[in-house]
Amino acid sequence: MNGARGARRRGGGYERPVGGWSNFEVWSWFFMRLSGLALILLALYHLVWWNLVVGVEHLDSQLVIERWRNPFWRLFNVALVTFAMLHGLNGARYSIEDYVRRPGARLAVKAIVYTVVLGALAVGVFALLTFDPAVLLQRS
Amino acid sequence: MRTARFLTLGAALRYRGGTQMWAWALHRLTGLGVLAFLILHVVDTALVIYRPDLYDAMLATYRHPIFRVGEYLIFLSVLYHAANGLRIVVQDFWTPLMRHRKALLAASTAVVVAAALPIAWVMLGPVLGLREEPGAARHRERCLREPTAPACVAPTAKARTASPETGR
Repeated sequence: MNGARGARRRGGGYERPVGGWSNFEVWSWFFMRLSGLALILLALYHLVWWNLVVGVEHLDSQLVIERWRNPFWRLFNVALVTFAMLHGLNGARYSIEDYVRRPGARLAVKAIVYTVVLGALAVGVFALLTFDPAVLLQRS
Repeated sequence: MRTARFLTLGAALRYRGGTQMWAWALHRLTGLGVLAFLILHVVDTALVIYRPDLYDAMLATYRHPIFRVGEYLIFLSVLYHAANGLRIVVQDFWTPLMRHRKALLAASTAVVVAAALPIAWVMLGPVLGLREEPGAARHRERCLREPTAPACVAPTAKARTASPETGR
């Protein structure tokens, strides 16, 4: 299955896998690069804002709720968490396929990692999409 | 080339691929580290919509210096992964640039090294008492407006000194 992945390139990166768009590894190769470019903007903005501008010491539930009242920031976070989790999951898959060699063990490790990562993604997206500030500000 | 993708960890450590190989290894390491953090971060932030009180209690734990150092390392890991990843994308889509791969690696590494110290100053300086927390002015203004906000009544000594006007 991983035999279709492109060869590692001297100086970083991997060759684009051979084959057309029916080959999952071709999609995977492009996805890593395009989501990576998007994440440079999304993740670095997120890090700079919360760590350098707001300051983690000043963070609390009300600040997050205030931020999430704006649909733009909820959408921003949906994009950030989705790209980041899928980019990370595919990267973890590369490592599993490289280092876990026994077919049974590989399947087991993949099952666990896929479940945890996709589960966390589902929790995050669910929270962002069902967010209701009216209920929350009373409760906090 | 193909067999190089199937090394055991021990063989990988003995393999002498030079700086380009270390850049690749660090890309993996930072990627897996950030993924582990991300899972935790997303699940605990989702708490906000179910139990804001638990979220605030959890933030109090994260104010410990050990987490502040961890947050700095996460920041650096993302920065390295971004710079090195951008280098890879540039090389992959403009293959003639592969001739300059050494210079490109030097440039992407230089960006991370140059940013490491100023970011440490902003994120870790306050932990050592060398400077104010980033965003302290904005926080003081906020606490005048909403003195009951959880971050304004935080039980830590640092939060108290950060907002003297509220008298807390």
